[in-house]
Amino acid sequence: MKQFALWLSTTAPSVFIQEHHAWTIPAIQSVHIVGIAFVMGSVLMIDLRILGWAWVDQTLRQTVGRFGPWLTGSLWLLLATGILMVIGEPTRELITFSFWLKMVLVAVGALVAVLFQRALRRHDQQWGDSLVAQPSIKAFAIVTFLVWAFVIVLGRLIAYDYVWGSWSPAPRQ
Amino acid sequence: MDITAALDWLQSTGPAVQIRDSLFAFPLLEGAHVIGLALVFGTIAIVDLRLLGLASTHRPFQRLAADTLKWTWAAFAVTALTGVLMFITNATVYFHNAYFRAKVVLLVVAALNVLVFELTAGRTVKQWDQAPAAPLLGRVIATVSLVVWVGVIVTGRMIGFTATRAAAPESAPVDTNFEDLLGLPAPSGDVPAPEPAPR
Repeated sequence: MKQFALWLSTTAPSVFIQEHHAWTIPAIQSVHIVGIAFVMGSVLMIDLRILGWAWVDQTLRQTVGRFGPWLTGSLWLLLATGILMVIGEPTRELITFSFWLKMVLVAVGALVAVLFQRALRRHDQQWGDSLVAQPSIKAFAIVTFLVWAFVIVLGRLIAYDYVWGSWSPAPRQ
Repeated sequence: MDITAALDWLQSTGPAVQIRDSLFAFPLLEGAHVIGLALVFGTIAIVDLRLLGLASTHRPFQRLAADTLKWTWAAFAVTALTGVLMFITNATVYFHNAYFRAKVVLLVVAALNVLVFELTAGRTVKQWDQAPAAPLLGRVIATVSLVVWVGVIVTGRMIGFTATRAAAPESAPVDTNFEDLLGLPAPSGDVPAPEPAPR
């Protein structure tokens, strides 16, 4: 991985980002944060609908129909800007414990988002409406929200990977 | 008390010292700050897009706002609290940072923008509650809101690149693992290396 990161840092796109790092890095990170905001807003609203705390005049399907595409679209934006960040600063990102744990949780969160939307589309209207009454789906909603919140914390911890002590592969400076 | 003394006092308070001395308090505060601001901007965008007629157009505005804005305020409380706690750890540096100042100005603009909405389009909301979009002034205010909040995010991110943390804690000893960090980290007798620039 270290060698891959070092190789990546010599590629043309990486060199471009590094040479213009004064604006490229903050710009990419800012777009990334805007994407995070759309994900969190969308996940919050879908989860609040499941919990029955908001959007109760709309069915679960209508609520997911409103926010699902924003959630999915924002996840693609996050993937794109995330890849740009890895290209721009390969060793800072890849040689950390925080990054890889974050990737595992992102995979979990994205899989849940895709499967949940697909399940809602495939089943009939009644299934979607009776679903919100089940305690298990309410717990599931809370867990999903916490997964994304933890993803945010891990994203920030990439800059502070030393907090993991000996678990961190980041070289001590 | 002049501002320099006030900033010095802030930096010397108990919470400021404790956050500075902790290895992971500041990073976790940053994490909570990002969760808060993501929810603030994410929920505000839902309202602004409704005002602009770009999303949720079939839903009455007041109902959407009632469902959304209380969470905006709750998230804003978290973001403001964590922001204040980060500020006091290095008050003098942040206070003189140009991006910090720009961010504060933008937050004031955002607040004034809400005030203008309440005094104008907000007063006639019953007339356009069911309409797919707000009147022109409401749409202008929504656009200003989206632009200003993106500006808050950008300037906030720039603070991390331009203001260094005060009294950076020593890096964790090599044999520290996360369990150790859940307790208070022992003072490192090891190489007292400065941490990498936070950003």
